[in-house]
Amino acid sequence: MSLVNLGKKIFIFSAIVLSVSNPTYANDALEIAILSDQNNSGFIDSSSDMTMNLINRKGDVVTRKLRFKRLEVPGDGDKSIAIFESPRDVKGVAILSYAHKVKSDDQWLYLPALKRVKRIASKNKSGPFLGSEFSFEDFSFQEVEKYEYKYIGEEDYLNLKCFIIERTPLDPYSGYTKQLVWIDQENYLIHKIHLFDRKSFHLKTQKFEEYKLYEGFFWQPHKVEMINHQNGKSSILLFENVKLNSGFTDRDFTQNSLKRSR
Amino acid sequence: MSYKFLGVFIAFLCPALHAEIIGEYSFDNRYFFNSGLQGQEKNHSSFTLSPEIFHENEDSIFHFKPKLRKDNIDTERNLVDIQELYLINILEDKEIKYGVSKEFWGVTETTHRVDIINQTDAVESLDGEDKLGQPMVKVSFEENWGLIDFYALLGFRERTFSGYDGRLRQPMIVDTDRPHYLSAAKNKRMDFAFRWSNYFDQLEVAISHFSGTSREPRFILTNENLKELVPLYEVIDQTGFEFQYLLGGFAIKSEIISRSGQEDRFTAATYGFEYTQVGIFGSRLDLGWIVEANHDDRLPSSPAVIGTRLTINDTSDTQILSGIIYDEKSEELGFLLEASRRLGICCSISIEGFYFDDTNEDNEEFKLFQAYKEDDFLRFELIYYMGD
Repeated sequence: MSLVNLGKKIFIFSAIVLSVSNPTYANDALEIAILSDQNNSGFIDSSSDMTMNLINRKGDVVTRKLRFKRLEVPGDGDKSIAIFESPRDVKGVAILSYAHKVKSDDQWLYLPALKRVKRIASKNKSGPFLGSEFSFEDFSFQEVEKYEYKYIGEEDYLNLKCFIIERTPLDPYSGYTKQLVWIDQENYLIHKIHLFDRKSFHLKTQKFEEYKLYEGFFWQPHKVEMINHQNGKSSILLFENVKLNSGFTDRDFTQNSLKRSR
Repeated sequence: MSYKFLGVFIAFLCPALHAEIIGEYSFDNRYFFNSGLQGQEKNHSSFTLSPEIFHENEDSIFHFKPKLRKDNIDTERNLVDIQELYLINILEDKEIKYGVSKEFWGVTETTHRVDIINQTDAVESLDGEDKLGQPMVKVSFEENWGLIDFYALLGFRERTFSGYDGRLRQPMIVDTDRPHYLSAAKNKRMDFAFRWSNYFDQLEVAISHFSGTSREPRFILTNENLKELVPLYEVIDQTGFEFQYLLGGFAIKSEIISRSGQEDRFTAATYGFEYTQVGIFGSRLDLGWIVEANHDDRLPSSPAVIGTRLTINDTSDTQILSGIIYDEKSEELGFLLEASRRLGICCSISIEGFYFDDTNEDNEEFKLFQAYKEDDFLRFELIYYMGD
């Protein structure tokens, strides 16, 4: 048993103890969210190649390719760089993000044609990412501290016993009023999210599939699908060449590294 | 001949390095609605070839990007330039760049005051954002106290200016064959510059200084040639400040320079804001507003710009940028339009338009755009991107 799994068991135990002493649903939901988050932490650094297929109502597909690097920052949100590979006209465009647990993220955009690094307002996060059904917000990391939680109940989803929790973004600039999250009871992996827009309309459904376990503790979905119920379009994100522990440091996530990132 | 040599060079170098070849070809046509003030043609076309070789290792990067431009009318618009030909060494505590490269400084959108490392390729476009490669050695440190770049700039590039047959020019053309330099070293003078930048939460700041040959010439008349303006490149000292503060959806920006060496010391500034409305009217369209004002001690007045950037957020990345330039004192008005979208996987198209209007011809103030009054145009550009 890995230390992380042991930690998880201890955590569940203390969670049970806690819930006995303070049996509110909000606490249950927060504990589930924390356990779920642990599946995606402790990796130090990771990198992957991403293919994004944008599918319109008629079923036509256009493809985008990205490279992605990520570094865990102890006590804060992750640092990451997304580098666009295709289409050709945006090759070399890159985004550097410093996610933060509570305060808004810092983001810089690099435009290779002008050789310009431009700080971008992270409040514009509800807009579409690369013309896809994913927003910038869907692409950033879901720090536990960024939401308020409510326990909804249990439901079987794809033959898995799942908890359903509701999370409400605390950021006033979020494009969502609430999210319903399906998390399985065995490994605490997120399988589905219903995203509700500012008018509380069920706008999009995000599905996480093809989970693989790395180094015994890190779960990575290899297919993430976003379905937009309003316009009938969907976007599928496929992950390849997932690597952990490549030895990245803070120096790989600076403005200088952004400028030479392609 | 140099074109052929370049092709052979690339063909041999790339497989040897396992480097990737990218880059672009573009064709553009500018249609001017009227003949020029000096009788120039209405239709001007050009073809640009700009391949790129990029190769990276764990701790070094090689980049080569020439740019060749052929104009069908104005020979002064023909260009053979090395935009990038450099090697970057990434060391433990610093990064060193040797060779020819382009470096951008600044935060504002319409006028770039502090940006001074590279010479402007002024005949390429009206916005002045196209640059010529600059030979340099750059040492860069990036720590908690910010990013600091030191530059030794080896040699000087002259600004490009339209010839007799070219459009968007002053009544007198610029004699680019006989520039005057104030430095005895002429265009071989070694210039120095540094820039420090950092951010503090929502605030970005930068301070820079440049000491060397002015990229922006003044003009003189000489006895040898009374028909043409001779560019005078003086030695200047320019200190620049950049400031950007993100406040909600606003990006408040300012660039200020103070320059000495061209008669009296002067100050010039651009300041304003950018505001983006995400998902206007419940759609997936974003509408950005750009408002910038200018000040320049050397001019009696400076125009202000109000622009909008409409981002469609479709799979073709369609964008429409439009702007109005207005100068209060001279009562001159200009409209700009720039629309672009991707075409398939390999190409993109853009349409650019410029319309000038002197709203009060009786106004006897100094006119900023007088020379361009017959130069309203539409430009169409098709770009093909190489790659796999």
